[in-house]
Amino acid sequence: MLLELQLLWAALLAYVAGGCLAIVAVVFRKRPERTVLALTLLGLALQTASLALRWERLGHGPFITMFEILSSNLWSLTLVFAFAYWRYRAIRPIAAVVMPILFVMMGWLLMSDPGEGHYPPTYHTIWLFIHVGFGKVFLGAVLVAVGISGVILLRGAGLGRTRLAQLPDDARLDDLSFRFMAVGLIFETLMLVAGAIWAQDAWGRYWAWDPLETWSFLTWLTLAFALHARVTYRVRPRTGAVLVLGVFVLAFVTFFGVPFISTSPHKGAV
Amino acid sequence: MQQSAVTFCVQRLASLKLTLAVLVLLGAGILYSYSHDAWRTEALVAPLALLSVNLLAAVATHPQFRRNSPLLMFHLALLAIVLLIAAGRMTYLKGRVELAEGEVFAGALLEVEQGPWHRSGLERFAFVNRGFAIDYAPGLRRGRTANRVDWQDAAGRRGSSVIGDHTPLVLEGYRFYTSPNKGFAPTFLWQGRGRAPLLGTVNLPSYPINEYNQAQEWQPPGSSTKVWVMLQFDETILDPAKPSEFRLPRDHRLVVRLGETRHELRPGDSLDLPDGRLIYQGLRSWMGYQVFYDWTTPWLLAACFLAAASLGWHYWRKFAARPWRAGEPEPVGTHAARADSCS
Repeated sequence: MLLELQLLWAALLAYVAGGCLAIVAVVFRKRPERTVLALTLLGLALQTASLALRWERLGHGPFITMFEILSSNLWSLTLVFAFAYWRYRAIRPIAAVVMPILFVMMGWLLMSDPGEGHYPPTYHTIWLFIHVGFGKVFLGAVLVAVGISGVILLRGAGLGRTRLAQLPDDARLDDLSFRFMAVGLIFETLMLVAGAIWAQDAWGRYWAWDPLETWSFLTWLTLAFALHARVTYRVRPRTGAVLVLGVFVLAFVTFFGVPFISTSPHKGAV
Repeated sequence: MQQSAVTFCVQRLASLKLTLAVLVLLGAGILYSYSHDAWRTEALVAPLALLSVNLLAAVATHPQFRRNSPLLMFHLALLAIVLLIAAGRMTYLKGRVELAEGEVFAGALLEVEQGPWHRSGLERFAFVNRGFAIDYAPGLRRGRTANRVDWQDAAGRRGSSVIGDHTPLVLEGYRFYTSPNKGFAPTFLWQGRGRAPLLGTVNLPSYPINEYNQAQEWQPPGSSTKVWVMLQFDETILDPAKPSEFRLPRDHRLVVRLGETRHELRPGDSLDLPDGRLIYQGLRSWMGYQVFYDWTTPWLLAACFLAAASLGWHYWRKFAARPWRAGEPEPVGTHAARADSCS
């Protein structure tokens, strides 16, 4: 267990170094992008090793305790963001918006109990992996959209207007953000369907409006609303960015907040 | 004139602004039904019905919507999901039953909740609980359930299955799931005066969650006497300190209280009641089952996959029209590399 935690801390250090460098780079208008990407990938490799060791030791994936849920989501969000960072050069400065969100998760992770939890018999199914996998892609896509939207809002508020000038104009950023939100909608739809299949065989019902189901569906609805509003009113980039933030907040609360308040079987940690 | 009024109404109903308003209404309905018991169904049904009407009106009045096949397919799949859920709620059945080892399920449920149009087919088949195995990890953490059942379907075919977590017994569309509820069941032969002997069980509260409350009051069939029974044993069945397995106690006593008198029975002992004789036959286990019936689930699944696939198709087509990296400055050296590859 000690090695797992040491690897995790090393990964967090690499993430923090990469994140801080990305923020400093935006502030001082430098572009140490390869270093940022290398540090992020190093962190991912270290965290992958930490997760693998834990998986091997406990005999199950990181799906049970809040520590495991935070750690696996930090890993998947960083992976999706690293992919976007590598693939879309023009939007790399959004790291200055995304990394602070990941820093919050890292702080929360460090405060969580790394002890093990009970792996219930209802989790012995391939649908768990499918459901969780789709959920991670969904949240990752929305996180990238949040990074892009954050830049739109920062520029709109007059903060870092010159420092963020190297990014494409707001209309182009808005279009990219909309694309990531659309990807999010597809994967959240798939997440809900896979979850319903799992619930049918695990608990004998495909939908029961338990707290996590309810809030997941509300997130889906908000996402659908945001995409519809964009088409209906041709909203300005700043309004679109606010809608993206709203979806992300709701999704974040659903993923990491509802397991705290729910006492039903489907509470993310049981 | 009349036709134009209808067209006007349909056009108003097809409004995308109305879609947004109803999405907000649906969200509000979900939040309301999440925290209130009264009018829960109505709070969900009203906005869903309005959304369906809005969608149908949009399909009827917007030719560009009809021309966009994937988008149309996605929305029609959503409509199909809503209709299937409505059909499912009218015809579903949810219930609960407990069966002692060796007991036959012949259609009777302990608790049942069903749609108004559900036609019960529970009596068309039968199955017998042949006992189960459940492992426990240290800390009384329940492992997998393996419950053997022998069954006979409506066509008279017989079979044997092992059911448990993720593996229900499915007969005539009814799905029987093992539940976490299981326990001990003292078995009695009741010889009521002037009546044929009856064999039956008393299912004690679920074990181990009610470990210190293994007692139950009941009345033998046709008797006016209330009998209170309590299971007592000294051994530890499920040890929180080490791995263990659910099993019957090797040695036990059954305390029976009739009014103020107390008796201790062992298998084979009998007790005379004012209106008959009760013979204790021994101890068995019982398993609790959840029963679920909803004929729409395979169709619902198909509609969900169609919705997800058509949504993906729609966005794929939409985004393929303009590359994701359009307008992005080419990395240094790209032109040279391309020139090299062309030559």
